[in-house]
Amino acid sequence: MGVSKEQVESSLNSKLNPSHLEVIDISGGCGASFSVEIVSEQFEGKRLLERHRMVNAALEEEMKEIHALSVKKAVTPEQWKKQQESNQSNPAA
Amino acid sequence: MATLINLSSTQLLSFHSSTSFHPRNTPTLSLNLHPNSSSNLRPISIKPYHHSRKPHTWLVTMAVKNLGETESVTVSPESDGPAGELPPEAGVYAVYDKDGELQFIGLSRNIAATISAHRKSVPELCGSVKVGVVDEPDREALTQAWKSWMEEYIKITGKVPPGNESGNATWIKQQPKKKPDLRLTPGRHVQLTVSLEELVDKLVKENKVVAFIKGSRTAPLCGFSQKVIGILEKEGVDYESVDVLDEDYNYGLRETVKKYSNWPTFPQIFLNGELVGGCDILTSMHEKGEVAGLFKK
Repeated sequence: MGVSKEQVESSLNSKLNPSHLEVIDISGGCGASFSVEIVSEQFEGKRLLERHRMVNAALEEEMKEIHALSVKKAVTPEQWKKQQESNQSNPAA
Repeated sequence: MATLINLSSTQLLSFHSSTSFHPRNTPTLSLNLHPNSSSNLRPISIKPYHHSRKPHTWLVTMAVKNLGETESVTVSPESDGPAGELPPEAGVYAVYDKDGELQFIGLSRNIAATISAHRKSVPELCGSVKVGVVDEPDREALTQAWKSWMEEYIKITGKVPPGNESGNATWIKQQPKKKPDLRLTPGRHVQLTVSLEELVDKLVKENKVVAFIKGSRTAPLCGFSQKVIGILEKEGVDYESVDVLDEDYNYGLRETVKKYSNWPTFPQIFLNGELVGGCDILTSMHEKGEVAGLFKK
């Protein structure tokens, strides 16, 4: 039962070609829930909902085993760059 | 027409000849309750005084003096305090502003406390008050007293006190009412005449904001639903909620909504018939300060 972090990563990598990807197993190791931060050019021009849908679709197989998937971030490389910069200039935020 | 004799309301009965309904028959006399005259008759239909009745029920409205005869009390922190002139009792009260204009006629179970609250919330409108304590303050007696003052004021001025006009919420702070959760079906054993999918479709299109949540809006049963409700409440969004765990009234709804929106999890928030997202999306919108702008347009 459950899905490994690596499986999630490889599916997302192959389907969404992310420039940054962070998958965290938040289930405590049983592979039932993950949180994802993903940066991909494919998100360009897409609403947040559509981006989440893309992530869900990419993990269609895995989703059958996953109980909860939390997409913390689904941004374009440009947005990602901006966010990184603003985080650096304003670390308290 | 049937002959109707109701013993308890015999004094309201009037005689009518109903010949017009039976032109060929011999004119018959029947007793009918005249629908229009009952209200006119009411004031003169007062029954002979029964000894079993306590007299005070007849003296209710007399317990309160006319508005005009009542002396006014200047509102101050002292007047509604424990040693003040305002009674901590039930009754009717009229608030006048500092120019002596009547602003509001209200009812209270504790006049002193209510006036004190008014003085704090709208000090500029509280100059003085007139107070009529109602003995035996049941609901009816209080309403009667309030009515008599309202009528007296309207008779003299021809208008309703500004604070009593409908829609004026200056004096009556309405508790924000929590809406009930919506139910999609009358019950799981009732055969639906339209598919659940159509009902969902109708629901999200007819209501601006709909949240499909696990549990009720007052007691969400899942952390994500709770978070979403929290955001909507905090942003003051007017929304409808549907409990997808309600197996009695929303039977089968979870699968239907998932299929309808092509979204695998709950909560799901719809705006103008379109899925906005679930907890993650709403949270990130909230963090960016987009929620109020989007949902309140």
